[in-house]
Amino acid sequence: MRRYFLLAASFSLLLSLLTAAWQESLRPKPIALTPPLTGQVEYCLTCHSDLPQISNSHPVQTFGCVVCHGGERLALNANLAHSTMRGGKNPSDFSVVQASCGGANCHSGTAESYSNHIQRATTSIQATYAGAIASIRYTFGVQADLKARLGIFAIQVPQSTSGITALEAFDPAQETNPFVQAFGQTCLTCHLSALPLPGSVYIRFTGCSACHTPTQSPDRTSTEQVQSNNIHKLTTSIAYTQCDSCHNRGNYDLRNMTFELRQDLPADRLHDFYQPIAQFTSCEWKLDCVDCHTRTEAMGDGNLYSTKKDIQYIQCKTCHGTLTDLPQTRTLTDPNDLAFRLALLNPVVDLKLGDTILVTEKGEPLWNTLALPDGTYQLVGKVTRQVFLFKPVRGSGCTQNGVDQSSAYCHTCHSVER
Amino acid sequence: MRYTLAAGGLAVFLALILLVTGLLEMFYYIPTPEQAATSIQTLTFLVPYGGLVRNLHYWSAQFLIIVSIVHLMRVILTGAYAPPRRLNYLLGMGLLVLAILLDFTGYVLRWDEGIRWALVTGTNLVKSIPLVGSALYTILVGGTQPGPATLIRFYGWHIFGLTLAAGILTAWHIFRLRRDGGIAVPPPPLREDQTRITRFELVRRELLAMLLAATGLLLLSTFAPAPLAASMTASAPASGTARAPWFFLWVQQMLKLGNPFVWGVVVPLAVLMLFSLIPYILPKPAKSELGRWFPKSNRLAQVVALLIMLSIVTLTLLAILPAS
Repeated sequence: MRRYFLLAASFSLLLSLLTAAWQESLRPKPIALTPPLTGQVEYCLTCHSDLPQISNSHPVQTFGCVVCHGGERLALNANLAHSTMRGGKNPSDFSVVQASCGGANCHSGTAESYSNHIQRATTSIQATYAGAIASIRYTFGVQADLKARLGIFAIQVPQSTSGITALEAFDPAQETNPFVQAFGQTCLTCHLSALPLPGSVYIRFTGCSACHTPTQSPDRTSTEQVQSNNIHKLTTSIAYTQCDSCHNRGNYDLRNMTFELRQDLPADRLHDFYQPIAQFTSCEWKLDCVDCHTRTEAMGDGNLYSTKKDIQYIQCKTCHGTLTDLPQTRTLTDPNDLAFRLALLNPVVDLKLGDTILVTEKGEPLWNTLALPDGTYQLVGKVTRQVFLFKPVRGSGCTQNGVDQSSAYCHTCHSVER
Repeated sequence: MRYTLAAGGLAVFLALILLVTGLLEMFYYIPTPEQAATSIQTLTFLVPYGGLVRNLHYWSAQFLIIVSIVHLMRVILTGAYAPPRRLNYLLGMGLLVLAILLDFTGYVLRWDEGIRWALVTGTNLVKSIPLVGSALYTILVGGTQPGPATLIRFYGWHIFGLTLAAGILTAWHIFRLRRDGGIAVPPPPLREDQTRITRFELVRRELLAMLLAATGLLLLSTFAPAPLAASMTASAPASGTARAPWFFLWVQQMLKLGNPFVWGVVVPLAVLMLFSLIPYILPKPAKSELGRWFPKSNRLAQVVALLIMLSIVTLTLLAILPAS
């Protein structure tokens, strides 16, 4: 009897060896990638080969995953591999964006100032929320004017030409006015570092991805809405629905210091784009926000501002001109013109040297437009690719005074009936 | 085996596994702060059977400590340290200390976020020793704070210094065992049964223990991977677990009581001294009672050893419980 102990023990050892070999055979075959940008081998694709490439500007064969996301590049254990990822699923969150997206070859400190997106975006009022904070503190008598002093995070911009070179961090606990305290507790949900409100129509990431990762379907009437927080995409083709994850979402109630969410969403765009009482023109509901509003307006110009009005400047006349002046144009003669670069990122038009495009009052190219030989203009939707043809005001029957450009004046004649 | 628990034999077996798996690991391990953790990740995840080899090394090391302590307790609780085995008892104590030091140095060689706390705390304990502390610290760490010099020193100790000492002591320990007449039993005139177990039977029993141990180790190494954490980065805050390796948890728990020199250095050394002196200062086991559990003649030694062990286990549990 006892003799068989040895035999049984040997057999059990053999079994455990076979088990070890079987488990070894179950391990996934490692998929190695050595992106030239890092020169270091990484094995993320062993599990993530099914992820779509995030954008044509960030080819995975060149970038890999780790240069943006961080993580343990050699680990084939999910917990360990993900333990050091920057910003969890979103490396573009402003707390980590410098490490993820920054660098002189990428989006900060570059020789070309138009590529310093991190410096511009983190100082923009969408990030600092300085305008809202200043106006609330002014409204309740905490500060004497509307000039921004506080932001979501402290930031210094010594070279800022706006007259504001630094913001302190807004800390509701330091405020004495109960309304400002309540504002701090309930109203800080719409800046670029804030987590979105609960609900599918509010789904967005933070940081760069708040706008550049399309978590909302571009078409609100579409039955297959993306509305996901698990999407691997960066784009400059930003649909109005993405902007709507923060904008046009309801009304502030200063008495209760609450935000009254709209209940009438989602519906078709004509009815849900603006508040029920608002007037708007055809442009404002057929185009996407980014078709007119420029990168500088949305992401700032690197200076600190107190209000949206300091940075937002596109008006009807930017494209349509006035009774006396045609809109400004530029004929593309330099192959390095920014317009070509922007058109490359979102190839909805085929820009060529010699084309004449509209430019803004500050000289920003409206690269999706074209001045046609017959004196009319063309605009191609950056999201819809729809072609719009339009005429200048000059020579038309418009009776408007050229300096009266606020929307109320144009809406008087050109508003859309709902 | 019913008498010895085969603990000594298993310790030798585990040491041999450690030697072989450790030699295999040396083909991949790179002892620099930048590459230590990533080389272990390479070994673990990318080298065929590399993870298994590392897990075997890890689990063998953990069990070597357990088996060594069981062996020590068996020797005390059966009075097997009676003269002329007192020197061999001290050699065994030395081997236990070496096993713990090898375990700690091996643990530090991971050089990832998981070991940062233990490395800093452990080396700072050395600094707390009066007069010689800072000199010892410099010798151990190779600078004013843990860095590349520390890693290469721990590596040197682990693969060479401590291993060589452990090898010599193991050989001496086994040689003394033979010289002292094999496993402790009463001298022939006092034995009731004059027959000894045959060489064949001894080998059969040890082989059985080894086969079973190997089975257990393989299964454990297949399904319970050794711990691993993200690479240590100078800038990152100490996010890793602030916890010592399990065999030092009792010391960590005592450190909460105050003075690090007293509780982190003096008390553990006192425990070691006390264990080492058991054969010299406490009543000796009677020759006639050798080879039996709990002989009356060395009751005091049994009580002392069991009380200390109970305290260590209690302190260890106290250190684990609040976290879970």
